[in-house]
Amino acid sequence: MYKRRIMKDRLFTLAVSVLGLLALAPLFHIIYTVTVRGVPAILEAGPSFFTEPPAPPGSERLGGIAPALLGSFWLALISTMLGIPLAFLVGLFLYEFKESRLARLVRVFTMSLLEIPTILVGMLVYTIVVIPLGGFSVAAGAIALAIVMLPYVATYVERALDSVPATYREAALGLGLSRARTSLIIAGIARRGVLAGFLIGFAKAIGETAPLLFTVGSARNSLNPSPFEPGDAVPLLVFQFIATPYENWIKLAWGAAFVLTVTVLTVFIALRVVVREVRL
Amino acid sequence: MRIVIIGITLIAVLAIAVFILLTAGGGEGEVRLVGSGSTFIYPQLQAWIQAFTQANSNILIEYTPTGSGAGQAQMLVDKTVDFAGSDPPLTRDQYEKYKGQVVQIPVILGAVAVVYNIPGVNELRLNGEVLALIYLGEIEYWDDPRITELNPGVNLPHERIVAIHRSDSSGTTHVFTLFLSKASNGAWPQDLVGKSIEWRVDATGRGVGAKGNQGVAQAVQATEFSLGYVEYSYALGAGLKMAYIENAAGEFLQPTPESIQAAARAALPAMPDSPAGDWSGVLDAVVYAEGEGVYPITSFSFLIFWTEYPQDKAEAVKKFVNFILNEGDNYIVEGYVVVPDEVKEINRKAVELIRTG
Amino acid sequence: MAQKRPAEARSDKLFYYALIPFASTAFLIILLTLFVLTAKGLPALEFYGLKVLTSTRWLPNEFDPEKAVYGLLPAIAGTLVTAIIAVVIALPLSLSLTVLVEELAPSRVRDILSSLVDVMAGMPTIVYGVWGIGFLAPILAPIYSGLQSTLGSLPLFSCEPTGGFSILTAGLLLAIMIIPFIFAVVKEAYRAIPATYREAALSLGMTRYEYTRLLMGMIKPAIIAGVLLGFGRAASETVAVALVVGNAFNLPLCIIGPGITVSSLIANQFGEANLYPLMQNVLYLGGLVLLVLGLASNFLGILMLTRVRVRV
Repeated sequence: MYKRRIMKDRLFTLAVSVLGLLALAPLFHIIYTVTVRGVPAILEAGPSFFTEPPAPPGSERLGGIAPALLGSFWLALISTMLGIPLAFLVGLFLYEFKESRLARLVRVFTMSLLEIPTILVGMLVYTIVVIPLGGFSVAAGAIALAIVMLPYVATYVERALDSVPATYREAALGLGLSRARTSLIIAGIARRGVLAGFLIGFAKAIGETAPLLFTVGSARNSLNPSPFEPGDAVPLLVFQFIATPYENWIKLAWGAAFVLTVTVLTVFIALRVVVREVRL
Repeated sequence: MRIVIIGITLIAVLAIAVFILLTAGGGEGEVRLVGSGSTFIYPQLQAWIQAFTQANSNILIEYTPTGSGAGQAQMLVDKTVDFAGSDPPLTRDQYEKYKGQVVQIPVILGAVAVVYNIPGVNELRLNGEVLALIYLGEIEYWDDPRITELNPGVNLPHERIVAIHRSDSSGTTHVFTLFLSKASNGAWPQDLVGKSIEWRVDATGRGVGAKGNQGVAQAVQATEFSLGYVEYSYALGAGLKMAYIENAAGEFLQPTPESIQAAARAALPAMPDSPAGDWSGVLDAVVYAEGEGVYPITSFSFLIFWTEYPQDKAEAVKKFVNFILNEGDNYIVEGYVVVPDEVKEINRKAVELIRTG
Repeated sequence: MAQKRPAEARSDKLFYYALIPFASTAFLIILLTLFVLTAKGLPALEFYGLKVLTSTRWLPNEFDPEKAVYGLLPAIAGTLVTAIIAVVIALPLSLSLTVLVEELAPSRVRDILSSLVDVMAGMPTIVYGVWGIGFLAPILAPIYSGLQSTLGSLPLFSCEPTGGFSILTAGLLLAIMIIPFIFAVVKEAYRAIPATYREAALSLGMTRYEYTRLLMGMIKPAIIAGVLLGFGRAASETVAVALVVGNAFNLPLCIIGPGITVSSLIANQFGEANLYPLMQNVLYLGGLVLLVLGLASNFLGILMLTRVRVRV
């Protein structure tokens, strides 16, 4: 009897380890695939990969993805400046007043934002921002991205706050601190999770494609310096170039996908370093 | 400590942003034209735009490939772009509505290639009727007498035909199904003509939908004994075998720049004499056009401009149109075919029609 | 909760009201979206009646909306089936991952695993999409052919697989994409179980298997919530699915063949939809159906989460 229990336990441990690692395996293969196909493309293009617009289709040259890089930089900057503070406050509200009926409603609606196909978010922003302004712009794309990132960041923030043992909160309140102060203290304790939420928001901002289709304008012939003009974005370029018959464009798409992946990885590694350094 | 690090990062990012804003501020007298629409036209347009803006550095042109329908709406209804690229011309109703306000310039010819993957078979002849019957699910095997009859001396296998078609809404499908309805002696029903239709062959289990030209090309490449239709440029790009298609004069032709241009010439009588005219009937005229040397599954793609622009934009548009008409031939992307000189003559009138308003 | 002086209670109220405008942005966006989707979707419902939701055909007509037939059923069914496949595959993997991270891994490794899951959540969907086209679909194609030749008598595997683009491929890709989602919900609840339970279980001499099962049983509502939220996430994914699902207008009866989902339908057809009277309205109606479905699954999921909070 005892032996069977041990056997069962061993088997369970094995199965769980295998399945758990299997869940992570695609991540490694994705990184591998994107590296194997993206790095040669970037090497072939040389430094111009980061400084030039794409070469015409079918030409010997690759050119580069400079307009897309610049556009993604703007998109990430503006959309995180709009989206992350907003999402943080929403997450804070959900955590701090979770027993209220309003919070439950807010949670339902925030999570439901995930249900709007992102292409429809793009259409919505097209209707309420692009048409009134009279044209595509990076700023319009950033607004669409801010909407897309809101539920991700808010839920991550809420989860992070929630994972802090209730005793901390009770202690802070017991000291006579206001709930506003208390929740900020909790946010400090849960900073790793909160930062992870911010980064996922940032990653969404640089990685989303569909909300940009009708908002940004795929302007990739020139380096657009202003966020109020049409621009390009790295994922948009991948989406539009990967399914063409032109070898140089397909290579650019893989190179761009590699850049996206590396950016996301770098950001998360940076997070780990930052969090470890500030361990109190 | 944490705040210091985050602060430094934020300041650095903002500094870079401000630096970019200050140093790269748009030049004086710069004109920006923004367009959107047809995805088919996009690669060729990119090549022209890049060549053009190299010579005219004060003009910037950007184009978003969102689809012909979206391009038309964004330009005509929402006024969010300056010009549109469109595979179909404006319908008669739309034309009546915007008459005198727009010019439609047919700049590029497209052709739909019928591609196949039969190991060992390197020359295949097909006609509209046989293609219709395949896509209706009525012809099941490659060695069906109706196919072998067209291909004397070719050893066709007794294998089932996998008919691959587009699954997304596409002008390619429209042109292909229009050809089927015109060239199949009534075998292909009239109501199965359009950008996205119901494929009866799907119900037999031998029909497969693939997304985009690229998807169809990949599916044909990956599937033995399959058949599909793609834009000429994709057939070339993927190195697929193209079938010889019977035209209205009874000749079997592959798509080539010559046979595609011949189709455009054959459609001349149905064309208006100016880009300001009604082009809505031209697709019907060019598909399965009468005439020798004509590739029967050919179509036009248009650039649509307003007749009136603010002064700087009007100048830029004129220059760009002139460039396409006069120097465009030097920057042709493989797989695209420019309109023949006769059509260019019509197009030239567009330059006079566009004015400052 | 600690006793508070009135002044503090007032500042707490202020805090509450100050947050409300921010908290309600999601509500406003949803409201606006619902409004736009309803305003644009209803004309299609009025014109075609319920047929537009139940028909399986898609026959647009450029000139006469009377002659056109639009049916959203294949897309709605495709959304449900791909999302269900995704959840069924992702759930055991996510639960295993939770146990691996929370119970088995040494604390250093645990941190790394946790970060890797975060990376998975942050990985751009387009990267999943190109991986799906470039790797997943091609390696699945011969497997599907094998399934068809051996199990072809079952309707599930009866159709011609081509290039690996199918309902099942989309479901698999979605499963990978929602693992971090379900993991996050389950892990949070698992961590929230007071240590006393664990200690009690161990002191009774339970094996790891036995007490993990016990603890998982305690957070069952959270697992259900994770499933519902993951389901919702899978249902709305656009770009990655559009790249691998095959986009054919079939009811998802055969999962190794191409199908379509509501969001991939919208992505595929939107660019050309203005050329057809009422087609855009039908697409908006599809978006509305998706949103209502999502609101429902979220509401249930959050109800479950509240239950787990009360219980633990």
